[in-house]
Amino acid sequence: MIAFDRVSLAYRTGQFALEEVSFTLKPGSFTFLTGHSGAGKSSLLRLIARLEKPTSGDIQVGNEQYSRLKPRHEPRLRRSMGIVFQDNQLLYDRSVFDNVALPLIIGGYRFKDVKTRVMAALERVGLSDRYADNPIVLSGGEQQRIGIARAVVARPKLLLADEPTGNLDAGISEEIMKLLLQFNASGVSVLFATHDTDLLNGYRFPQLVLDGGRLTADQTVGGAGFSYQPQSPNSEPEVTS
Amino acid sequence: MIEPDVGSRWSYTKRGYALTQSVRQLRERSVATFITLFVLGTTLALPAVFWFGSASLSNLVNRSVGEESITVYLSLDVSELDGAAFAKDWQNQTGVKRTTYISRAEALALFQEQTDLNDALAALGSNPLPGAVVVYPNIDPAVPGDVTVERVEALAARFKAMNAVERVQIDLDWVRRLQSALTLFRVIVSLLAVFLTLTGLLVIGNTVRLELLRRQREMEVSTLLGASRSFLTRPILYTGTLYGLLGGSIAAVIATIAYSFIKTPADQLAAQYASPFRLALPTAGQFLTIIAVVTALGLIGAVMTVFRPSSTHITNR
Ligand SMILES: Nc1ncnc2c1ncn2[C@@H]1O[C@H](COP(=O)(O)OP(=O)(O)O)[C@@H](O)[C@H]1O
Ligand SMILES: [Mg+2]
Repeated sequence: MIAFDRVSLAYRTGQFALEEVSFTLKPGSFTFLTGHSGAGKSSLLRLIARLEKPTSGDIQVGNEQYSRLKPRHEPRLRRSMGIVFQDNQLLYDRSVFDNVALPLIIGGYRFKDVKTRVMAALERVGLSDRYADNPIVLSGGEQQRIGIARAVVARPKLLLADEPTGNLDAGISEEIMKLLLQFNASGVSVLFATHDTDLLNGYRFPQLVLDGGRLTADQTVGGAGFSYQPQSPNSEPEVTS
Repeated sequence: MIEPDVGSRWSYTKRGYALTQSVRQLRERSVATFITLFVLGTTLALPAVFWFGSASLSNLVNRSVGEESITVYLSLDVSELDGAAFAKDWQNQTGVKRTTYISRAEALALFQEQTDLNDALAALGSNPLPGAVVVYPNIDPAVPGDVTVERVEALAARFKAMNAVERVQIDLDWVRRLQSALTLFRVIVSLLAVFLTLTGLLVIGNTVRLELLRRQREMEVSTLLGASRSFLTRPILYTGTLYGLLGGSIAAVIATIAYSFIKTPADQLAAQYASPFRLALPTAGQFLTIIAVVTALGLIGAVMTVFRPSSTHITNR
């Protein structure tokens, strides 16, 4: 469960990236986070990952009340979620295997588990045969899949995806979307930031729509012709602002 | 499923990963690493040489005084019997190790043995040499040099005040001069050693700072993946420690080589002062201590760089 309670975020420049945002997402849900560029999507995801701290308001993820979270427990919180970045954030000084293994090394997993989990994650994104390559030799779509493998390798309950298809062409976006759906089907909550209208129109999932840092209650695309059908009764976001 | 052919089991543990990363950085920039290590080694070699030698130096000062004696020349009218009694009296005084009486006749015999002035002496007709008592002060080598010199001089002053004593000769001037020279030498070299050690610390600090910049990206990504502060800093601390270990080994080797160059002239100099002093070669313990100290220096340099208040490289928001 993710709950935002009147959360605002101002960067050092004084400009508000988010203002009074409140919503609740149920466990196991698949939710689109959408809005124009600069609307505050990345900021919202960074708040969930505790990479930023709200200027006001409080956030709860699972049992963690962020206002009561000790700074030394923030890394552990971050390890409990997987994050996929638009610019994939892979390290090009090491192999695909070592990139995907990094969260497990950070988490202190045993070598036997590191091997099986990394290979299983690569298997799921269809790239297990490329484990020894440097990610630089892979295509953009393949690199993004490595990023997804790395995000899910420690089996998080929550997957945050920040425009993972932003730089990729339509066919590959579809592929990434299918992968995220698979993980959602196995019980992982997914919060998928995107402004890819093809995806938003093609998949009928609840949407959090941001506009200039404010959450609009509107769950439809373009405000018309979109009939929202939750994938499961639990997955509907309640916009409570 | 494919059985992956990957790095060693250990390199996938937290500590193993940190060490693998820092060793990799050292090896990838092998020329820069070598130059840095060489700078570090030569910089710290002088303090190491000084440290190797400092024990020998204090030994030199104390031992030289320890071998010193006071020659008390008795008046010509003091009889052989009285002279021997004088020597015996002083044998048991505090501050005196032992005394030797040289009678006038013995003095003459010694003089004739050591010089070619027999004809001149014969011409004098009578023995012109006084009897003498050689007093060996009881000197504790643990007492610092200057105090020892003062004690010997105080003892000499007591002899001087006696009627039966004609003249007292102590040959401590050269020891004094040597001590002054050594003190000056020590102060200068200590200052140099402090400056060079600080330089070494700066070299390590700077290397670690560059390493922080190079690893910026890896540290950012690791932070995003939930790395703790200790996970982020560990490879950097290992890098500093490795630089210390390798630089310290180079310093110890250079110091030992330099020391062997110093040994011969130093021993010759000591021999000219009739000192039994010989420069001792550094022991394995001293050699390892230098390496250990510089290794600690490397770790300290890294800690100071990583945890300095203005360090913006590592944030754990
Ligand atoms: N680190 C930052 N410092 C200052 N302003 C920022 C920072 N990151 C984002 N912003 C601003 O906050 C607003 C929201 O940005 P962002 O969350 O990246 O939006 P989106 O991901 O929807 O494009 C934008 O106006 C952006 O310029
Ligand atoms: Mg963004």
